Amino acid sequence: MSERTVEDRLREEYFALLPESRRLLEELEAEVRHCLLPLSSSLDRYEKIEVNSRVKDCESALGALRRQQEFATFDPDRADSYTLTSLNDLAGVRVLAFPRSRWREANDTLRHYALFSSWTSDPIPSDEGSTEPLAFKYHGFCSRNTKLRAELQVVPMLTGLFWEVEHAAIYKPSPQLKGVLASLEMQRPIREVYRALGIFEAEFERLVRSAPLDKP
Amino acid sequence: MLTATGKTQILEDAGYAYSFDRLSYINRQTRKAFSLEFVQDHTESQLKACIDEPTSSQEWHFYFNSPPSEAVKRELSAVFS
Repeated sequence: MSERTVEDRLREEYFALLPESRRLLEELEAEVRHCLLPLSSSLDRYEKIEVNSRVKDCESALGALRRQQEFATFDPDRADSYTLTSLNDLAGVRVLAFPRSRWREANDTLRHYALFSSWTSDPIPSDEGSTEPLAFKYHGFCSRNTKLRAELQVVPMLTGLFWEVEHAAIYKPSPQLKGVLASLEMQRPIREVYRALGIFEAEFERLVRSAPLDKP
Repeated sequence: MLTATGKTQILEDAGYAYSFDRLSYINRQTRKAFSLEFVQDHTESQLKACIDEPTSSQEWHFYFNSPPSEAVKRELSAVFS
């Protein structure tokens, strides 16, 4: 019989962790929605806050852990040292907010919420010279009874939707292309997309704020 | 933030292509490969020095930040050959 590979071991671990991942996700999503309720109820018609959640699928989880290794390669001699519990985002909730002022408010609200106050902040950096991150990101434990960390992202809506389109159009059908994004060559075009989306959102908000919408 | 243009130009000029599956820059003719982390963490002149370093063209030569095991080298040699 052929020897089990690192990937075989991790697939087994994934399905053993799946029920706990799902419970964790439900708990996290409920906490986030509860925390954001006052803000969500006070939005203007053009403003939006969306809460999306997902458990990473098995092959995405393996791929993410593999890409954390140099040359994206598992070392068979260290097979026992790899575990999916080292991923921060096996279960993750993403909050999308529009416009940017609501994004900041959503982040402030969540950051001060008891559950997340002890979580590790790991923002996604923006361009050099920008005072704000591209998106806020946190990870931590929802309860003491779990060894699984969860991730919370708070993202400007257009940036988040760009990630979703990119994921649906490219990485979902061809997960192996995920590594393209990491290349040095892609860094500049990606930064330009983010900059353009930021300018669009900032200008949109400026115009709306200077000429408020008619009441219905 | 990365200053990618100089390094990618150096690698391209030296005949390296990006492997998106292994997150690395490889040259099958010279049998050398650089991990993305190595490229990010070293200066352009260090990178040039590694590219110019003479090596046996029979075996693959890998540039890692953390030294790999023989098993990893064997796997990568098989994948890249």
